[in-house]
Amino acid sequence: MSSTVCYLGAVLATMKRDALIFVSYRLRVFSQAVAMLFSLTIFYYVGKLVPAGAIGPHGKYFAFAVVGIVTTAVLTSALGSVQIVRMELMQGNFERILISPLGPVWGVVAVVAFPIAYSTVFAGVMLALASLIFGVPLHVGGIAPALAVGLLGALCLACIGLLFVAALIAFKSSLGATWVIAGLSLLGGAYFPLRLFPGWIRWTSDVQPYTPTVDLLRHLLVGTRPVQAVWLELIKLAGFAALLMPVSITILWLAVKLSRHRGTIMEF
Amino acid sequence: MSRLQSDPALSQMPERRNALVVLDGIWRYWGRGKDRWAVLRGIDLEVAPGMVTGISGRNGAGKTTLLRIATAILAPDAGTVTVDGITSDGNWREYHRRIGFLSAGDRGLYARFSVRGHLDYCARIAFIPRDRRGQAVEDAMVRFGLTDLAARRADRLSQGQRQRLRLALTLVHEPQVLLLDEPRNSLDDEGLAMLSRAIDEVLARRGSVIWCSPAGDEESVEFDRRLIIEDGVLRPA
Repeated sequence: MSSTVCYLGAVLATMKRDALIFVSYRLRVFSQAVAMLFSLTIFYYVGKLVPAGAIGPHGKYFAFAVVGIVTTAVLTSALGSVQIVRMELMQGNFERILISPLGPVWGVVAVVAFPIAYSTVFAGVMLALASLIFGVPLHVGGIAPALAVGLLGALCLACIGLLFVAALIAFKSSLGATWVIAGLSLLGGAYFPLRLFPGWIRWTSDVQPYTPTVDLLRHLLVGTRPVQAVWLELIKLAGFAALLMPVSITILWLAVKLSRHRGTIMEF
Repeated sequence: MSRLQSDPALSQMPERRNALVVLDGIWRYWGRGKDRWAVLRGIDLEVAPGMVTGISGRNGAGKTTLLRIATAILAPDAGTVTVDGITSDGNWREYHRRIGFLSAGDRGLYARFSVRGHLDYCARIAFIPRDRRGQAVEDAMVRFGLTDLAARRADRLSQGQRQRLRLALTLVHEPQVLLLDEPRNSLDDEGLAMLSRAIDEVLARRGSVIWCSPAGDEESVEFDRRLIIEDGVLRPA
């Protein structure tokens, strides 16, 4: 077997493991879906208060918010992967990955793969339900390109998640991942348009991948006007992915090396 | 005491060129600043193929640290470790294909994951080729009497069964070098016999075993060489 096939097979095996453990909690998917539907319901009625013209025609705000909510779910999952690695450390399972030929870096990538893949699929299902139950007008022609944008965005967010895992391995701290989730979703325009922000803080929306992800998804799926030209946002998103992948893997590798030397790699 | 009759020649310190595992000048410190102390002080250890080395020592003497360095979980502050001439930094994948490590304690299992699921997963991350993977999993279950428990979740196993599963996971990829840290944990006589037979299999394929246990722990296998860690140094026991 070639190296790539071996490593990808091991990542898939880890995803299968996590999927089997996940579905062993039989009510988990149901309770997550119910929580998400409650959230959608709240924004459905909030959307009725938003006057026509604020986002687009009357009722457009709900479609705008739905895409923000489900994208934030993927963001939360990506950055929440640091907690999964912490659990692996606490349960002593990280050691098994460390001593395997898979190795720590690929092992961490494998561990974070399932939650991000699951949340991406879950986001798609929730969008479909929002369309069926609440009548969000999804553009059918935009679904295929939105899928590609969604995967690229999920990749970027996964890389940010790896940076937090690196911090956990090196410093035993997740460096406020929940604050970062809140900050990115707020400054990325998950719930309201970026133009409402004061000018001095708007630059923060331009230097992270969440903004072009959610903006492009909205444009493709519900037809909102993009903040910047579509081609520019695509280039930004691809650029973030191209930058974040090697940077996050390198930093994770350095974190592993540092903690092996310090002798803290198995601590949590 | 069912281990293969050992070759007396193996009890002698092997020539380095024949050694499967070589720890060369291993130093490891713990703590920082004034509280820094050397737990391992220039450890040299060579283990030849077909040899079982027993290492004992007081609690905190450095047995687990030594094994963790051998697995590359920890980096030594000085010195090198090679397995079959390979270093972990040089080739992580090939290095770890050759070793199997059982840590002390009972951790490292997924509570809601089945016995077969654990073994299949470990076989996959050990890069056992697809055409041999199924048989490797079956062999590991037979080796440690887990076949009837294949579908059972780990959190529904007894402590002894959990330890047998941990041993099966350690050996599923048929490593050349077996590193055992207090492996007797919760094993009954039947479990110990299974472990002894598994060690025989490792030795039969010209592998090596390093077995660490606290001083005074009752041993259940025959060692080719007994060493003790005292004051950070390995000495004949």
